[in-house]
Amino acid sequence: MTDLENLSEVELDVLKELGNIGTGHAATSLSKLLNKDVFLSVPKVKIGEIKNLSSEFIGEVVAGVIIALQDLEEKRSGYLYIMFPEKSARKIAGDLFGLEELDEEMYASTIMEVGNILSSSFCDASADFMDIILLPSPPNFAVDVPTAVIDSVVSQMARKSDHIILFETSLSSDSDIEIYLAMLPEPCLLDDMMKILGQL
Amino acid sequence: MSSSILFVSNERGKVIFLTSRDVLVKSFCSLSNTCSFQDSCRSCDMVDAAKSHLMGTRSNLNIKNLDGELSAGIGEYKIGKNVLLKVMGLGSCIGVILSDVSTGLCGIAHVLLPGASNNGETKYAETAIEKMFEDMVKMGARKNRITAKFAGGAQVFKHMNLDILKIGDRNAISVEETLIKRNIPILAKDVGGEVGRNVIFNPADGSMIVKYTKGEVLWL
Repeated sequence: MTDLENLSEVELDVLKELGNIGTGHAATSLSKLLNKDVFLSVPKVKIGEIKNLSSEFIGEVVAGVIIALQDLEEKRSGYLYIMFPEKSARKIAGDLFGLEELDEEMYASTIMEVGNILSSSFCDASADFMDIILLPSPPNFAVDVPTAVIDSVVSQMARKSDHIILFETSLSSDSDIEIYLAMLPEPCLLDDMMKILGQL
Repeated sequence: MSSSILFVSNERGKVIFLTSRDVLVKSFCSLSNTCSFQDSCRSCDMVDAAKSHLMGTRSNLNIKNLDGELSAGIGEYKIGKNVLLKVMGLGSCIGVILSDVSTGLCGIAHVLLPGASNNGETKYAETAIEKMFEDMVKMGARKNRITAKFAGGAQVFKHMNLDILKIGDRNAISVEETLIKRNIPILAKDVGGEVGRNVIFNPADGSMIVKYTKGEVLWL
């Protein structure tokens, strides 16, 4: 199994490319959905120690959507973590409905659906361009500070390793919409990627 | 002193002020739930007392200086004497505090997983508590005077279909069982719920400050 602490440059690049293609397509979907231009930041791949994780995320309360990714053999490949800062989340939900105020249930399910669309296009892209099949789970939703939302996922990964790979990027649109996207791959996703690369 | 941490108390309430260059930058106040200024702390007798203390004048309120702060990352623990201890952004994780009032030694652990580790990893509840306990004893804490407080283990998800996300309860149970097994008295706890927490320990009066990420503050 791939060792997270000592990933090679090639492995990191492949991971970055997967994230790039995935978020590129997610950005296109978001742009269509909102009917606005969406900008993509230069993505970063980091290998970090779990104990320092809290410094990786923004400090404000976010609407967080977590989607688990599986491969065809139902092995867990990793997680997508989509963070909408509260103001952006309200704005997106409001814009989609053309309303200023939404009731909480409607708001939550709208943001989950946006998360769903983003993750589906992410997975589509990874299958189309890299032949890596990722099946997204239904979205899980919470509103809290980013570490509080993600720590139960991190605890799963911490059983195997003290390190975590974090692929991070952000999407933004003209007027005060910002979305942060992170992918936390499991070691087996890296194994799969390397296998596919080996066949090329 | 460019930055210091003050603990101010009177008969009505208690507050921790974090200061930088003699300006109050942050506060954790036991009255903040009823205070009209909330976190901004414009002016009250506590604020005035802290400010005059920073200017070097005495005030009639009870003021103590703390020697800095320590923050434990995920799966770590930190031990100190007369320092403010913090764990921030707890969702399903738990902040466990052990303290010995007689020597002033105290520690905080940021527990990530229930159960014990085979190779001493402190992200597991049982291992973290036992190691922190032993370290404190080595540093001079008295075994039978150590008491515990803990908070965390929330279930922040409103909509959820992954069972692995339900780890908060198991963490809380594991922490409690370990403390009971070790005969460490539990003085306070605040677990469960749907909101994330920041847990802070004030060694000056032994209280655990639980600041919910949505604003509410508890002094336990």
